[in-house]
Amino acid sequence: MRERAYLADRGLATVLSVVLALRKPLLLEGEAGVGKTECAKALADVLGARLIRLQCYEGIDVAHALYDWNYARQMLYIRTLEAADAAAPDTVDDVFGRDFMLRRPLLDAIENDDPVPPVLLVDEIDRADDEFEAFLLELLSDFQVTIPEIGTIRAAERPLVILTSNRTRELHDALRRRCVYHWIGYPSVDREVAIVQARLPAVPERLALQAARFVAELRGLELAKSPGVAETLDWVQALASLDERELEPELVDATLGTVLKYHEDLERAREHGLDELVAAARRADAQ
Amino acid sequence: MSPERGEALVRKLALFGRVLRSAGAEVGPGRLQDAVRALEVVDLRSRDEVYWALRCTLVSHEKDLDAFDAAFAAFWERTAPLPDDEATPGLPTPSESGDEGGDPSADRTAPAQERTLLVSAADEEGGELGEQEPGGMAWSATERLRELDFAEYSPTELRVARGLMERVARAAPMRASRRLEVAHDGRRLDKRRTMRASMRTEGVPLARQWRRRRLVPRKLLFLIDVSGSMEPYARALTMFLQAAVRDGGKVEAFTFGTRLTHVTRELRGHDPDRALRSAARVVPDWAGGTRIGDNLKTLNDRWAPRGMTRGAVVVIASDGWERGGAERLRAEMIRLHRAAHTIVWVNPLAGDADYKPLAQGMSAALPHVDHFLPGHNLRSLEGLADVLEALPAQGRR
Repeated sequence: MRERAYLADRGLATVLSVVLALRKPLLLEGEAGVGKTECAKALADVLGARLIRLQCYEGIDVAHALYDWNYARQMLYIRTLEAADAAAPDTVDDVFGRDFMLRRPLLDAIENDDPVPPVLLVDEIDRADDEFEAFLLELLSDFQVTIPEIGTIRAAERPLVILTSNRTRELHDALRRRCVYHWIGYPSVDREVAIVQARLPAVPERLALQAARFVAELRGLELAKSPGVAETLDWVQALASLDERELEPELVDATLGTVLKYHEDLERAREHGLDELVAAARRADAQ
Repeated sequence: MSPERGEALVRKLALFGRVLRSAGAEVGPGRLQDAVRALEVVDLRSRDEVYWALRCTLVSHEKDLDAFDAAFAAFWERTAPLPDDEATPGLPTPSESGDEGGDPSADRTAPAQERTLLVSAADEEGGELGEQEPGGMAWSATERLRELDFAEYSPTELRVARGLMERVARAAPMRASRRLEVAHDGRRLDKRRTMRASMRTEGVPLARQWRRRRLVPRKLLFLIDVSGSMEPYARALTMFLQAAVRDGGKVEAFTFGTRLTHVTRELRGHDPDRALRSAARVVPDWAGGTRIGDNLKTLNDRWAPRGMTRGAVVVIASDGWERGGAERLRAEMIRLHRAAHTIVWVNPLAGDADYKPLAQGMSAALPHVDHFLPGHNLRSLEGLADVLEALPAQGRR
């Protein structure tokens, strides 16, 4: 995983080995921006598997997630046959054949001939509604789907499934029961520095360390949305692009918008005193 | 792993499962099986690997993590024992007779809390509304009950009122979903069904099929003030809350006094006595002070980022006596109002015809409230149900 610039701590590493052994879906929860989606990407890369991503949203349904018919193509085909006067009794079967099917991520994951079973990432499952969750539950239990016109399709080899949730909605217990669960918290300062360095090798270590300490301080304030690792990375990149080698209060003030995304949070951080926070981050560095 | 050792481990694991269950985590046999398999792939000599292997298979809620950590430490590492379940401070109860009201510590014992918050079967004997009453009498009693101030309810009346509340509690505001449903008067073309129907007309899509956005229940948040000044009403309102969240769905329940407590999970289920008892166990601040502003801040900080308040209808039941600052309350009401669809404030004191929102907190909050209603009797809760059902499905307020 390290090669892919994804640093898993011992907990996540153990959990992933359990998931691989049990061949059960993994449910990852955690605050936004702690690397849930990245984890799936890195895992697919390490396994040499294809990553199939299904981004959930409110109102997602079978036609978006599993398959749909290509109606326009069906129409064209029928019209062409009519014009050529070539319509035959089995035209209907043709029209509802695989050539006219739009394969969506879930079907793609089930029906594959990859050498390595793919990694199916069901991102932000909490955004989909209950009905879709129930459908997914059924799919995850036996990895087969029935399409009336074609028949039952079963996965030759089960894909590795990773679900992520930001907890905008409580997931149903039945779904949780099917999964191995892992909660990803914010990393420690040392680990965050390591993550920054793995992701952005060009950044000076001093800057990475100070930024990580600063962000850790911010997480200690009562903010509406604490910054995640993604925000730290954005911020360090922004600072590095300005050729900064150390945190300076003015520049922190100017670039804080990459870390804190709410007006109230920015106010709060400024009230608390940016100078102080910067000084604390730098002082700790000197020790 | 040798078979004997394996079996010993499985037995120990089953015992650990029981410990976890008693700590409130849900651990079924399926999970234990997973845990056994997980232990096979990790190094059993490594405390960390065992910890993570068990945690990811036995826990499925972030909120259970603390319980798991404590149980893990106690069970596998033999450190401090688990906190005794019985010692959990319960919900001190609004006492209807004066004899035990003076000593708050007397209320904290388990039997007392169960007796008073719940209207148990034993209370029925002393009540004037027995079940043997004939229909006509029962009707007039029901009518009387609807007008009677909650503060004047006897335990038996409260029990009867529970049945009446359930009708009101089912009121649900609706919103337009992104999902479509089949509808003849819809405005979106249903391509799939149009194609299917065209088979009958030789592939010419003569009859078009339509869909429209489906209506689904809007998120509904109840925040009930259980502070000292609300004591006469809190019991009836908590009961109403239980009826509202009972069947699950999009209803979330909170109580607040000095702190905000999420009680949805505790109040779920079809046995109201059991639900109220388990809620009583988790509410620490019954009949204490009120810090409405601080509590709303907790809601805005901790729950709003997860989408709890976005587009929701928020019903706050409180008399508006604020012991924190009015300024904080105002600021938090503005934040809440920005995320929520509608804010309804139910104030039991407003049942009085002469009521004026003079309480400092109330006047600070009022400009950011969409509907201000009384909430002192059943009739007024019916008014709340009417307001909730009349909210438009689309657009804001």
